[in-house]
Amino acid sequence: MNSHDLTVGGYLVVLAAFVTLQIVGLRGKAPVPTLGTILSRIMRTRTGRVGILVAWAWIGLHFFAQ
Amino acid sequence: MSFVTSTPHGEDEHAPSTERRDVLVAVSGLRHPVVIVLLLIAFFSAIAGKPLDGLLMLLVAAGLAWKARLGPGPAAELPPEGASSGSRSRGGVRLAVALALVTAGVLYAAAVGSFIRFSWPATIAVVGAGAGVIVIGWHGPVRHRPVPGPLPRLGAGLWGGTLLAGGLWELWSLSQQPSLDTTSWAHPTISALTDPLLASHPGRSLALGVWLLLGWYLVRR
Repeated sequence: MNSHDLTVGGYLVVLAAFVTLQIVGLRGKAPVPTLGTILSRIMRTRTGRVGILVAWAWIGLHFFAQ
Repeated sequence: MSFVTSTPHGEDEHAPSTERRDVLVAVSGLRHPVVIVLLLIAFFSAIAGKPLDGLLMLLVAAGLAWKARLGPGPAAELPPEGASSGSRSRGGVRLAVALALVTAGVLYAAAVGSFIRFSWPATIAVVGAGAGVIVIGWHGPVRHRPVPGPLPRLGAGLWGGTLLAGGLWELWSLSQQPSLDTTSWAHPTISALTDPLLASHPGRSLALGVWLLLGWYLVRR
C-alpha cells in the first residue's frame, strides 16, 4: 500500500463513518441524530441557517468559480 | 468630573444616536462565531487568489452582523402545510412549481457544465445560483419544518468528531502538496480526487446537479 492508497483510504474511512452514523440515526435505537436532524437544529437560527447555506455556496465556488 | 445633561424630553444628549447605536450593535454582531468564520474565509479566500469567494463571504458576514441589531431572530416559521382550505389546488400549483424548478435545474446543470471550470461564465453562473439560494434561505425555510429539540451529546459529538477527522485528513493532505497550487498524487486532496470527474462536461453537469439539489434541500430545512 503506497501513500496514495493510504490517503484515499483515509477519506473512505471518514465516508464510511458518516454513512454508518446516518444508518444508526435512521434506525433510531441509539442516541445518534440523523444528518437532517442536525442540520435542522443548526439552521433554526438565522446565523446558523446562513452559515450552512454559505458553506454550500462555497463548495460550488471552490470547484467551479475563479 | 463629568456631567450628564438631559434634553427637555428627558433623553440623555450624550447617548448615541439611533444610527450610531445601530452601527455599534452591528459591530458587536461581528463577535458571533459564524460571522468570525465567514470573515476568516473571506480573508483567506482573497489572499489565495479567489477574490469573488472572499467578496461573497464578506457580504454575507456584513449582512449577518447588520441583522444582529434586530436580535438573533430564529428563522421564520411558515404555517404548516395544508393548514387552510384550498390545499388541493395549492398542491397542483406546488407540483407545477416543482416541475419548473427541476427543469430549470437540469437546464442549468447542462448549460453551466459546458463551461470551462474557473472561467468567467462558470463563475458568474455559480455565484448567481449561490447568492440566489442564500437570499431565498435568508428569512427561513421555504416550507414548514418542525424544529428538533436539543441534540444528544454523544451522537452530536460523533458527527462532529467525524467531520473534524475528515477536515484534518484533508488539511494533512494539503500540507503534503509541493505547494498550495500544485496537487500531489501521493497525497491527494478531495479537490484533486474530483478533478478527473470535473474534467468532462457530463461530470461537471452531474456535480452541478447534485450541488443544486443539496442547495434546494437546505433551503427547505
